Amino acid sequence: MIRGEDLQGLDRRRFLTAAATGMAGWAAFGGGVRAETAGGTLDTVRLPFENGERPLVRYPQKRPLIRHTARPPQLETPFSVFREGLLTPNDAFFVRYHLAGSPPPKSILDPETFRLQVRGSVQAPQTWSLAELQRRFEPVEVVAVNQCSGNSRGFFQPRVPGGQSGNGNMGCARWRGVRLADVLKAAHLLPQSKQVLFDGLDRPLVAGVPDFVKALEVDQALDPDVLLAWEMNGEPLPWLNGYPLRLVVPGHFGTYWVKHLHSIQVVDATFAGFWMNPAYRIPDDPCAHVAPGTTPKRTVPIERFNVRSFLTSHLDGERLPPAGQGLTLRGIAFDGGSGIRDVTVSTDGGRNWTTAELGPDPGRYAFREWSLAWRPPSSGTAEVLVRATNRLGQSQPLDPLWNPAGYMRNVVERTVLSL
Amino acid sequence: MTSPRNPWRPSRRTILFAAVPFAAGVLTLLATSGPAATPSMAPASRPNPHREDPWVMPPGEPTPPADEAAGPVRRHCALCHSYDYISTQPRLGRAGWAASVEKMRARYGAPIPTNDVPALVNYLVRHHGKE
Repeated sequence: MIRGEDLQGLDRRRFLTAAATGMAGWAAFGGGVRAETAGGTLDTVRLPFENGERPLVRYPQKRPLIRHTARPPQLETPFSVFREGLLTPNDAFFVRYHLAGSPPPKSILDPETFRLQVRGSVQAPQTWSLAELQRRFEPVEVVAVNQCSGNSRGFFQPRVPGGQSGNGNMGCARWRGVRLADVLKAAHLLPQSKQVLFDGLDRPLVAGVPDFVKALEVDQALDPDVLLAWEMNGEPLPWLNGYPLRLVVPGHFGTYWVKHLHSIQVVDATFAGFWMNPAYRIPDDPCAHVAPGTTPKRTVPIERFNVRSFLTSHLDGERLPPAGQGLTLRGIAFDGGSGIRDVTVSTDGGRNWTTAELGPDPGRYAFREWSLAWRPPSSGTAEVLVRATNRLGQSQPLDPLWNPAGYMRNVVERTVLSL
Repeated sequence: MTSPRNPWRPSRRTILFAAVPFAAGVLTLLATSGPAATPSMAPASRPNPHREDPWVMPPGEPTPPADEAAGPVRRHCALCHSYDYISTQPRLGRAGWAASVEKMRARYGAPIPTNDVPALVNYLVRHHGKE
């Protein structure tokens, strides 16, 4: 848990300076185009995989985002946003829903009437209004990355069905709320309790479609870093990011960060609901992978992020300034909560590697900035590779690993710059 | 600014899209309603940005081409999701699309009659797949 002030003023200007030296935005994705549609003209982008063309659409409280699907909404953050700073702005933060009844309507999200139920295997079932939660428990903040399990799924080869996103279904924000552990302790868990279930107000509209309910083991749920959050980057949660209350499970994939959270149920057995089994499961091996095109023998629920790192100061395909000028390569790295130990960078396609300088540590769940001063060669192209290692010694593979659901991609990213 | 309305309540277009199997008038309406952006949202204002902002999702959603063969897709797939859930997928083979339809039926609980499955798979392979 870290204090919110730690990130204030952190290098936003430096990021902007770096951004200004490069070309803006969409050229990196093969050129922005304007498509004529029956309903009018809208901007589109082309993500660098087959069938990767998407419209940029403006949603409530959001700047234009890459729309993968309209109903339920799946909106991706344009990658250029990540060079604006280490905190992802609320209006650019990705959106991912599962059920047709998403997002829930204003009428059932009114903070005056909204209630959180805590029930099940507890001595004292409880009902909290938002104001009561805020008054009764100690407010805390954490800066943490949220990342979709299927972030980067569109790059899987062979391709797999599901939301076909680029690398932008992730973001880092300062979350403010109360500890889930405090709320659970106030309800007094019974000794036989095993898991805690979380349900949001989004819901299926067709009978027989399973509601989106997620489970954490009691030990995970009592981790003091897990929050019930109402605020994101100093503002109430945007409607599309879980207003008025969401679960924040630092280090864990976004599937657990239940939005519009209204029900917490403690149970005595392992929950077997659809969204825990068979959905959101990974092969049961240390790298969550199988041979491409094959089926895992055994699966387990997806949990923590593996290590990832990105170049953010320059986008793929970008043309650098005239020869002879030095510049700074800059980017981000994160993992599932041990923290980043080091980042190494190659500017020659992986032959030679240099250790990058790490920026201030904003907490073990946050984007960690890295930078490297570099004098590019005078002509041709440069292939920049970035590889992070966490404090557990875990790193990123040079060749991509595969699993049938398209989860947890964390290959060393390659960015080609032309000189 | 778009006037606020309850986003839970589907627009007339959405209701027709989800519920009416095949009607030429509806198809014409749908075919001409492409996605469009909502008006620019004011920056969030404390303490609650939702007080002023319209709770309105962008109107319109991607729909299949006005083609009689799209009937099963309109009847069954559109109950739970917009057409871009299909059109943004990689070009799956016949086995891949058959598996996707079966996943929707068996796992996600989509009420798709067995009789309609072959026509559904044929359509998906022809328009969004590879043989």
